[in-house]
Amino acid sequence: MNTELLLQLLINGVIVGMLYGVVAMCFVLIYKSTQVVNFAQGEFLVLGGWVCLTLVVQMGLPFIIAFLFSLVFMAAFGILVQQIILRPLIGEPIISVIMVTIGLSIFMQSLMNWIFGNDAKRFPDIFGSFSVITIGGLNVETAYVMSLVLSLLIMVVFYFFFRFTRHGLAMRATAFNQQIAQSLGISVKQTFAMAWAISALVSGIAGVVMGIVSAVSNSLAFVGIKVFPAVIVGGLDSIVGAVVGGLIIGVLENLAEFVDGEYLHIGNLYTIAPFYVLIIILMIKPYGLFGTKDIERI
Amino acid sequence: MKLRSLSLALMAGSMFAANAQADSVFVGHLVDYTGPTAFVGTFYGPGVADAVKFINANGGVGGTTIELETVDYAYKVPDAIANYKRWQGKGMVAMQGWGTGDTEALISFVAKDEIPVYSASYSAHLTDPTGANPATKKPAPYNFFYGPSYSDACRALVQWAAGDAKEKGIEKPGFLHTGDNHPYPNAPKEACAAYAEELGMTVATPVVVPLKPGDFKAQCLTIKESGAQYVFMGNLGGSVVSLLKSCGTVGVDVTYMGNVWAGDYKTVESSEAKQIIFPSSTPFFGQDVPGMETVKAILAGGGGEVGDRPTHHYIRGVCSAFYMKEAMEWAKENGGITGANIKKGMYVKKDWVPAGLEGVCLPSNWTEKDHRGLMTVAINRGAFVDGQVKIDRIEEIDLPRRDDWLGQ
Amino acid sequence: MGHVPNPRPAGDFRTSYIGDTALFKTRFEGRAALAIILALVIAAPFLSNYVLSQLILIGIYSIAALGLNILVGITGQISLGHGAFFGFGAFASAWIVSSFGIPAIIAIPLAGVLTTAVGMIFGVPAARIKGLYLAIATLASQFILEDFFARADWFSGGVYGALAARPSIFGFPLDTDLRYFFLVLFWTVVSIVAVTNLLRSRDGRALVAVRDHYLSAEIMGVNLTKYRILSFGISSFFAGLAGALFGHYLEFVSVEGFTILLSIQFLAMIIIGGLGSVYGTILGVIFVLLLPQVMENVAASAAYLVPALAAGKAYIKEMSVGAAIILFLIFEPEGLIHRWRVIRASWKLFPFAR
Repeated sequence: MNTELLLQLLINGVIVGMLYGVVAMCFVLIYKSTQVVNFAQGEFLVLGGWVCLTLVVQMGLPFIIAFLFSLVFMAAFGILVQQIILRPLIGEPIISVIMVTIGLSIFMQSLMNWIFGNDAKRFPDIFGSFSVITIGGLNVETAYVMSLVLSLLIMVVFYFFFRFTRHGLAMRATAFNQQIAQSLGISVKQTFAMAWAISALVSGIAGVVMGIVSAVSNSLAFVGIKVFPAVIVGGLDSIVGAVVGGLIIGVLENLAEFVDGEYLHIGNLYTIAPFYVLIIILMIKPYGLFGTKDIERI
Repeated sequence: MKLRSLSLALMAGSMFAANAQADSVFVGHLVDYTGPTAFVGTFYGPGVADAVKFINANGGVGGTTIELETVDYAYKVPDAIANYKRWQGKGMVAMQGWGTGDTEALISFVAKDEIPVYSASYSAHLTDPTGANPATKKPAPYNFFYGPSYSDACRALVQWAAGDAKEKGIEKPGFLHTGDNHPYPNAPKEACAAYAEELGMTVATPVVVPLKPGDFKAQCLTIKESGAQYVFMGNLGGSVVSLLKSCGTVGVDVTYMGNVWAGDYKTVESSEAKQIIFPSSTPFFGQDVPGMETVKAILAGGGGEVGDRPTHHYIRGVCSAFYMKEAMEWAKENGGITGANIKKGMYVKKDWVPAGLEGVCLPSNWTEKDHRGLMTVAINRGAFVDGQVKIDRIEEIDLPRRDDWLGQ
Repeated sequence: MGHVPNPRPAGDFRTSYIGDTALFKTRFEGRAALAIILALVIAAPFLSNYVLSQLILIGIYSIAALGLNILVGITGQISLGHGAFFGFGAFASAWIVSSFGIPAIIAIPLAGVLTTAVGMIFGVPAARIKGLYLAIATLASQFILEDFFARADWFSGGVYGALAARPSIFGFPLDTDLRYFFLVLFWTVVSIVAVTNLLRSRDGRALVAVRDHYLSAEIMGVNLTKYRILSFGISSFFAGLAGALFGHYLEFVSVEGFTILLSIQFLAMIIIGGLGSVYGTILGVIFVLLLPQVMENVAASAAYLVPALAAGKAYIKEMSVGAAIILFLIFEPEGLIHRWRVIRASWKLFPFAR
């Protein structure tokens, strides 16, 4: 057994998994507070990447300003989507809500391809983001390491936000029970809008980071699909679970690559292994590792 | 239920409106400008369209104009088939196709309907018109393409690699195929590995790399682990760029060889690759050959989609259109422009170079038993040095026309 | 699934249970259905190849979408993997023909049976989970099956795909689109009748009970596990049958044709047509199949006015599908069939209705 290769792959898995965790967190945030599952999460990522790239490359803005602007844009976009598309569907069956976000993802994907072009485009070399750092024998782009720090930061901010701020509390209350929250004087509409804004904003960050590492293109949207195993592993309504799930999936796919390359020689176990794990977990623990079991009454 | 019959009536009505005019022939043209292969499709497609525009402006096919309908099917096989059916109803005599998936799906249709297809898929499956090779699954009598097949191009690369390894003094050079589990990257997989083994190379287990761009560090670590010195990339565009980038980060020091679609100045430019070896079957735009003037005229009179420096995929598109045109000319003089006659027209000339494109399209031979038009493969080295793309032609390999390679 | 207006005219009371469960709600409906089938049979030889091929595709997709409607519209389950089951049917039929030498005409329904088995296996998780978890589980089955197609050389021919020759009946080959059309028409009619028939049986009512409230259904004595898996099985059967017809129509089955996009397309068809409605499904199929082609023409003519649109033709085509899904869900969540009923009602009630 090649321990060095295994170690390098594991490190890679943790780094990538952390990003999956962040995206999964965005996903869970929306689900938890608005009961909507966002199949367009991947497209949100891509949009964030494109907006930032366009500002940097075509407008020639400094990266930091472009980055901040794209975050503002994403937050506004999140609110817009919530207002226009999802508000009319409150109270509709879950299939309608799923389908409307799928429709949104198809629509956004082709619109973005039209506006931004469909080849992958690279960020210029900002603050040496293409330089390489060696961790445990594995060369990693500096941008990834920065993203690692950024992800941790986002997670800490999330924690404090939900634990200590008024809005965070309101959001948790809304997630628990919308009617009770409303009767306590919390504006559910505002909370919904905020959940979408935060989720879109954080996906935008993830999109920019991934765009810096591996070019901006519509294929980044596949991360939105990879997030499903992560949230299912973690449980759909657990933010901690999302992060853990993301890490597990990141490590798992790299582990799959190792087993595949060294022993099995099947081929793309890397891409497919998370989905097998997903099915198995659903068979054993239908609400994920950290999810709460749904108790229904008639 | 009324809606259904109403829409039927509408569709039926629209069919009668589109009748072909007297002196023109209809050719369908499938392109991918928006799908997964758009990276190169946006060059090849305009190549065909611009060439046909040029042909029509210069007298057409002996006075007959070619009516070309270009449809962007975004690499969706069912869309391609739907369009084919529609075109067939309009009296299509030939088709300019695109990808591996749709071309292979249409093989039996075009054979039955006698419509020659000039594809941009160079899969070797398409080169055996009669099923002469017992290994051929399905003969493809009406499929043509200009250039070496994927398998032959890869064999040429392997042959070059074997020579290069000898020069560098590598004892037992290793060869590795990378690419998605997909008809297009897999087309040369087995043929090429077999030839590499024949030349005394070690063949490592292929590594699956997705056709969509992404972060491929995990795959690169596997490539590094395999110990192969020569890595063939069966994907194209963004995926190849990503692979080169990721492997550069991880520090995989090997010689990268690309498929014909994986190598052009745009790929080299966006990947900033130190070195990438790729085959070609035409000169590059602006090179000093007699026929380049025609290509420049075609570009100038074209739709202007490709800018002023098209990649060599554009030129292959031009060649594909011109071989079709000259076959149509023969057909016109020998019983009229029909699919069957165009097919016969493809077999008439030996060492065939379309008039006006000397030096651009290389001498090709198609015969009734062998649709491998071209067995000559030029090997190029692209490099990104000091912010400039540098592409050199390093070798030209003439492969033998081996019987066991037909259709494989 | 929302309120559906009563399609029966005023004064038309059902006086017996038999009348209440009749295959056709009114006598006119039955005659109209028969007339349309007859009209199609008679008109077929005069239609152009293109129209025929569109009709064949409408028939094939209708069968598959009907299956999905049983699962989603009738039982209230969600499947994002219907496209993969459709593909499985296509490969299965090709495999049965080439490995066992069974004639294609028999292999087509056999492929449906085989797909039923696979659908039931993937339906097992459905016995325990629902809603979103189920949606994601079926998404996983989509990717797993797609991977299986590309890998299983013995079954699907791997990435090179499989050949599926046109079937023949007693030595009479169905090698033209016209002949094949009749086969597809036959299976479409059989499927429509079968599904309509299912809905008025005990099993059909059990499925509806599971949809309306699964706990109440269980309390009333409906075996939840059995009916959930059963509905996966039935829906997979139609997917497999349609897939097999599709495979033999194209004479070639490619691994690329059965992606998540196809699954989404099937969902779009039943949502746009109307969840739980048989005729709505067919309307939805027609709408989704023709929409991109219509949009292509619309964009092409609009490009004369605004030349910038010419480059975006393909994108407009794709966007229209996404936009149609969104717009229907917001403005007409009950689908085209609801619109049709409203139109019919306003005709009948004229001048008393808008």
